Amino acid sequence: MTTLAEGTAVRRPAEYVARAAGESRPMGYLIGAVCVAISALMLAPLVLSLLASIKPPAEAHEVPPNYLPRGITFDNYLKVFDFQAGFATYLGNSLLVAALTIVLCLLLAVPAGYGLARFRIPFKEGWFILLLAPLMIPYQALLTPLYLTFSQEVFGMRLANTHLALAVVHTILQLPFSIYLMRNSFESIPRELEEAAKVDGSNSFQMLRSIFLPLVIPGIVTVALFAFITSWNEFLSALIFMSKESNFTVPIMLVSVRAGRLGAVDWGALQAGVVLSILPCVLIYVLLQKYYVAGFLNGAVK
Amino acid sequence: MNVPKRWRAIAIAAISTVALIPGTSFAATLSIWARASSSNAAQHMIDLWNASHDDKIELTTIPDNQMVTKLATSVQSGDVPDLISFDLIFMPDFMRAGLLTDLTDVLGADPNQAKVAQAFKDLATYEGRLYGTGFTPDVSILLYNKDLFRKAGLDPEQPPKTIGQLEDFARKIRASDPNAYGYYFSGSCGGCNIFTQAPMMWASGATLLPSSADGPAMEGTGVKEVLTMLHNMWKDGIIPESAEADTGANFQATFETGTIGMQGSGGFAIAALKANHPEIDFGIAPLPGVNEGDASSFVGGDVIAVPKGSKNADLALQFIQWQLTDDAQLNGLAKNLILPSRSDLADNEFFKAEPRYVTTAQAVGIGKTPYAFHFNDMVNADQSPWLTMLQTAVFDGDVDGAIAGAQETLRSIAAQ
Repeated sequence: MTTLAEGTAVRRPAEYVARAAGESRPMGYLIGAVCVAISALMLAPLVLSLLASIKPPAEAHEVPPNYLPRGITFDNYLKVFDFQAGFATYLGNSLLVAALTIVLCLLLAVPAGYGLARFRIPFKEGWFILLLAPLMIPYQALLTPLYLTFSQEVFGMRLANTHLALAVVHTILQLPFSIYLMRNSFESIPRELEEAAKVDGSNSFQMLRSIFLPLVIPGIVTVALFAFITSWNEFLSALIFMSKESNFTVPIMLVSVRAGRLGAVDWGALQAGVVLSILPCVLIYVLLQKYYVAGFLNGAVK
Repeated sequence: MNVPKRWRAIAIAAISTVALIPGTSFAATLSIWARASSSNAAQHMIDLWNASHDDKIELTTIPDNQMVTKLATSVQSGDVPDLISFDLIFMPDFMRAGLLTDLTDVLGADPNQAKVAQAFKDLATYEGRLYGTGFTPDVSILLYNKDLFRKAGLDPEQPPKTIGQLEDFARKIRASDPNAYGYYFSGSCGGCNIFTQAPMMWASGATLLPSSADGPAMEGTGVKEVLTMLHNMWKDGIIPESAEADTGANFQATFETGTIGMQGSGGFAIAALKANHPEIDFGIAPLPGVNEGDASSFVGGDVIAVPKGSKNADLALQFIQWQLTDDAQLNGLAKNLILPSRSDLADNEFFKAEPRYVTTAQAVGIGKTPYAFHFNDMVNADQSPWLTMLQTAVFDGDVDGAIAGAQETLRSIAAQ
């Protein structure tokens, strides 16, 4: 932090912006204003959700809506917390499935990306395109056959209605993108490092563990973050694959808690659920932000 | 895992002893799926059962519009609940698809089943066999704002008895207050309008949905008259502009603003208005037809059935029979201000303090429900012929063209 005691003049925010952009002070103000406007635009839905979530039920249903609450209540949050199996159950299920999805995605995407980026494989590009091909198939079409397969007993066990089954489905959805990201991450590492490791006598596994993995951490974090968000938000397969209230995830609860007769929506409960459900996403995003940006840029410039 | 021999022996002895005691049995846990919007009502019944039975029931709430997908996939995989409660309108499709267990032998002989509202009995019958019964019913009614009636010089105890009167009253309400509108309906919601506008059509004799390719579709007195009335009110600003885009999300909320004179709604609105808007003085009445005395209603709500493959079908059937008893109907439903599915219990001790409930419960007896396959395609879907007809007639003004278009599409769907 800059202080006068350190002998540094206090600068206005516009000067910092201007200096950072290499522009004059008026231009700094302009850039600052644009940044504030964009931030306001992005924050508006979140703020409106928060405000709607603390309105009394009668006020939350008003048509047209009144944006600023006249009274404040936490009844909507209580409704969400007490809904059927309780919010903690849905939250726990979502976190467990998301964690399993992250683990499965990384277990498959890291070796696949490493192989595609660093090994000579016949028809490598063809294999890569084949791995990306599932992106072109609407996943809804896969759900029923997958569900029927998971419902069959294998070694006395049935995967249907388990968190693992749902995590496998979410991994299937997320894997093409994860492999794409990991391949770019591995490709962005200079070949000289690999050659130096070879000269030192490292085999492929040692190189992956000691040289590559520390350098592709941003890519790994990005894959994990996307896997988390995909799993966290996914609704349809969670509904199909889970058959008990105690196994349901947050998105299913959100759809049920808002339901009124004939499609009527309980706006207050819905917004309270939205606010609660975005908190983990925001928290994880903020914590991992620097890796996320770096990981996304991997392979963008060669 | 290594378990000491002594403990193993004790465990085996304990299990054997319990199993050998005469009359010892292990209580079962039944699973029931109910659609989200009816889950509160279902929960009251389940709580009452659980309080008095060793075998317990666990409720799982399924989002309303996912029930068809969920049940179909679960029956295919064999992973079904023991009981299922869903919108009665899907009964014909589910019965024809073979998703439900035939309950005729037990339920047909149950004296309480004979007292269930006729609409539930009709909808739960397929090729002479019975597959379910009423569980948590609801019924459509005309909701009106008594304060706005007074302001317009109308008698708040005399709701409209014909659609002609309804339009006349709506115009007077609009003229009496620039902020008030005479009538409201959710213009982009097929389900809302089959529930609230259709009874005004069939009250006058119309047949709306064909059950076969050559069956009558949108025919008879009432269809054109109701659509024309709605169009005239829309054209003259008696209905608020927001009605056109309302997908049902504001079906309840708009009347709660206190600026709507009349609206087709359901019995569920009584409890919601009393709880959230005690300041609104409202009345309810049967939905009127073209001529006086033509009133009718849509009997909606949920049926209860046993899906094929239920692992506790006998126990599930016990619950179904139990929920039709006086005790369950009165203490599980009426006590919680939910309509009983038995017409003979419409006038009960719990509704005495609120005559509006009695009127609503009696409407269950006079109302009906269309028996149609592919109801979702015909009515609920975004591009359904029912909704397209309504929108084309009311908002575009082409009433005859809208009816003709709907007749053709409805018959082609019924032929599938």
